[in-house]
Amino acid sequence: MTDLRTRLVAHARTVLRIARWEVSRSAGTLDRRTAVIGLVAVLVAGGIAAGAAGGGVALDRDLYRVGIAGDSPYYDAVDQSSTLDPRPVSDPNVELVVSETHISVADTQTGRAAYSAFRDAVQSYNERQMAREENQSAAFPVVVDLQYRERAALVPTGSRVDGDSGGGGGGAGTGGGGADAGTGSGTTGGDTAGGSAADGPDASDAAAADDGGVDAPSLGGMASLFGGDTSGSPASISPPFPFASLVLAFAFLVPMNFVIQAYGSSVLNERINRRGELLLVAPISPGDIVAGKTLPYLLGTVAITVAIAAAVGGGVVSVAAVVPIGLLFLASTFVGAMFARSFKELTFVTVTVSVFLTTYTFVPAIFTNVTPIALISPLTLVVRDLAGESIPLGEFLFSVGPILLAAGVLFLLGVGVYREEDMFTQRPVPLKFLDALDSRISRARSVATLSALSIPFVFIAELLAIAVLFVLPVDLTVPMILLAVAVIEELAKSLHVLAAFEKARFSRTLRSSLVLGGLSGLGFFVGEKFTAIAQLAGLQSLTLGQTAFAPSGVGIADGTGVSALVVLGLFLAPLALHAVTASVTALGASRGRSAYGVALVGAIAIHLVYNLQVVNALG
Amino acid sequence: MGSPRLAIARRELGSLRKEKTIVLALAIQLFVAAFSSFLVVGLVSLYDPGAASYQVDVAVTGDEEAVEDLLRAVGTEDGLSGRPYSSTSAAMTAFQERQVDAVLEASTGEDGRIRVAAVAPDTGVETTAVVTRLRDALRELERNERAERSAFLSTTPLTLPPAAESSPYFGFTYTVLVPLLLFLPVFISGSLVVDSLTEEVARGTLELLRVAPVSFAAVVDGKLLAAGGLAPVQAIAWMLLLQLNGTAIESVPWLFGMVAGLSAVVVTLGAAVAITSPDRRVAQLLYSIGVLLVFAGTSLLPLSPANTAARLALGTAGVGAKVAVAGLVFVGVVALVGLRFVVDRVDPNELG
Repeated sequence: MTDLRTRLVAHARTVLRIARWEVSRSAGTLDRRTAVIGLVAVLVAGGIAAGAAGGGVALDRDLYRVGIAGDSPYYDAVDQSSTLDPRPVSDPNVELVVSETHISVADTQTGRAAYSAFRDAVQSYNERQMAREENQSAAFPVVVDLQYRERAALVPTGSRVDGDSGGGGGGAGTGGGGADAGTGSGTTGGDTAGGSAADGPDASDAAAADDGGVDAPSLGGMASLFGGDTSGSPASISPPFPFASLVLAFAFLVPMNFVIQAYGSSVLNERINRRGELLLVAPISPGDIVAGKTLPYLLGTVAITVAIAAAVGGGVVSVAAVVPIGLLFLASTFVGAMFARSFKELTFVTVTVSVFLTTYTFVPAIFTNVTPIALISPLTLVVRDLAGESIPLGEFLFSVGPILLAAGVLFLLGVGVYREEDMFTQRPVPLKFLDALDSRISRARSVATLSALSIPFVFIAELLAIAVLFVLPVDLTVPMILLAVAVIEELAKSLHVLAAFEKARFSRTLRSSLVLGGLSGLGFFVGEKFTAIAQLAGLQSLTLGQTAFAPSGVGIADGTGVSALVVLGLFLAPLALHAVTASVTALGASRGRSAYGVALVGAIAIHLVYNLQVVNALG
Repeated sequence: MGSPRLAIARRELGSLRKEKTIVLALAIQLFVAAFSSFLVVGLVSLYDPGAASYQVDVAVTGDEEAVEDLLRAVGTEDGLSGRPYSSTSAAMTAFQERQVDAVLEASTGEDGRIRVAAVAPDTGVETTAVVTRLRDALRELERNERAERSAFLSTTPLTLPPAAESSPYFGFTYTVLVPLLLFLPVFISGSLVVDSLTEEVARGTLELLRVAPVSFAAVVDGKLLAAGGLAPVQAIAWMLLLQLNGTAIESVPWLFGMVAGLSAVVVTLGAAVAITSPDRRVAQLLYSIGVLLVFAGTSLLPLSPANTAARLALGTAGVGAKVAVAGLVFVGVVALVGLRFVVDRVDPNELG
């Protein structure tokens, strides 16, 4: 017991020493002049960005040319619209001509787009004119109070109208601007209209809703920042769109891109000119070296996250949700830097990492108010935390768990190749990847472990596929999602087997192929049972969620009217499937890489057919 | 001039090809483009009532007179049909039993305004379709009511031209997707220059220049040529792909000139940063901030690159946009010449 403690303390000391060394060395590369230049540049860029956000940088400025006479009643509407560029009627190069009697439109797509921009411009011009009227009740004769109600069976109505919507972070705290316009029904909880103090529907909101067009889906009042209920003039109501999550995603993720750039450089630096060799020959384990080198960057990420969370008004939950994303950023960059052969390659790896992870956290968060799918992304937790909602532990784990596990596994893989023969050689990335997989295989049993460890990635990939395909119609997406699932799972079950065979770790015989295939299938099956967490988040209520996870046997036990024998059969069927397909790919892998490719296609086909059968049978 | 620079450029491109990083670069760009289009197609079809062929039934209840007006306004919207209900509770029951998708309860307020309490289902995608349609119907109602009250208004609202079909993706394609595809390669090119130069410093390979018959200036030129030349080629390839996909792209030569000018500016920036602070960590950070400055700064100009690109591609750009492109090319040339002066005064072995 004390032995363990002294060992732990020794490890912690080493890690801290390396962390201190990493910090002091990094600080040494930054001279005062560069630091000042950088700081000034950041301040200027920030100032410009703030100015741009305030002044409104119009991407669509003067996009369409409109021929219109200066005395036309429509002239002001065209002139005030940023998208439209008024020209004299005689100008032949226009998309649209507005004369006193009629409007002529060029018979092109551009012409039609120009016409619809013109219509929007007139509409928002009218709103602005009306806002200046003395008699506001004549100018805005209709007041709408919009509420969202759930339609669950036998649930009393109004369960969602609880006033959470307006009060959250950002600039949403203005509350009650249009509330005095009165509401017909008794629920006043969520009716915060725009931030204006005017006693009427807020015309600037109306204009914003109109000008928004495609570029920024209409934001309506600030109340809809979190998709809450709204009231105001008809122009101010808009569908729930969590604009905040878009902003937040970037506020939290942008600094991480800078952190991983520095981190990746630092890791790759060790590998250039065999600089890291001295560390490797020191009596320190690679794990300690990696932990020490990572620690400063992880702490940096935590500090930045805390600062941002404090700035936007997030609590502990926000930080706890975002830090795992940061850890995954670091983990994938670490693996990338271990694989990359040059700085150039590292750049592409980091860009890929940040693009992929941004997508993964960003896309689902858009649907925060829409479906349980949004929970795939921890940013959804942040949005909810900011809105003052409480988050059940199950949902938190569902969102953060796969990310933390994936980060852990990636570090494990990277540490596996943190050794001389991999660090200082120039090998293509795919080969290094196989090396990394192989370094974790010492005996046949490790194949099962690796299969089980691949589950977080499989889970993340499948969730991403669901999130991306979710907007399409169900008829189309179900076969696509089944195919995606088959491809992802077959790859996860077979790549490390291929690595082991390529490294001649096992003899290329029929018997060892079958044993490895069976073990890989078993490992995957056991790991897959952990996807039962999906049930906690209620993803099963969604057609796509059911489609993706039903074939794995999750949630079948809920089925009523199914005999125990069938349940058992269905429970064990996935095991048979995984063992069979993994054996097929293992057989291919034992015969070389091209045979592996063919076998993989076969295994995917088997898997797809099985999935379709199960979904149809349960459907 | 010429041959050593070209040889170095060829070598740079060769290493990109060998490491297959160029494939990864194209994959990233494709992914970003696909991702943003997905977002827009997904979101716009949610927000555009015409995009989804979905019939919304609305229960209308409340004051007799207001109900009549409301039903008329609802009737003018495509994909929306109204049903009168005698009481709020009957309407809410129908809503709960899913006979209707939304409830509108109208009443006349003390100040003569019509108050509409709207109830929409809280079911996500469906909600959006319902709410957008309700909004259009209610705006129609607002216009009608406003016309009735025109005696109390000092100005008469302009007559709204009738609605027409137009693709909701149209504006986005030109204002976001086209600039994205044009400028992403430029950004990556500059980053490549930073990597390439800092790596030479880190590996100590510039030391060899002492015995090699090439100058440091030639090395930098070669790298700039390889990276900077790549961006316009990629950008134009994207434009051609868009065209194949049915999106008309006008004035391609001008777009080419624009990307070439911009990439000259950005690769110069990359090289300058790499030479002044040859540690990759610092260099990449400074470069990213610098590019941010360039893009943020130019976006404030009346002819910002993104807007100019959109108008050029759309074919609605006037003389101003073309002058801006010419100006950009000029700035690019000036930057390259300026860099040459700096490079000539740098001893490559003092770096790092």
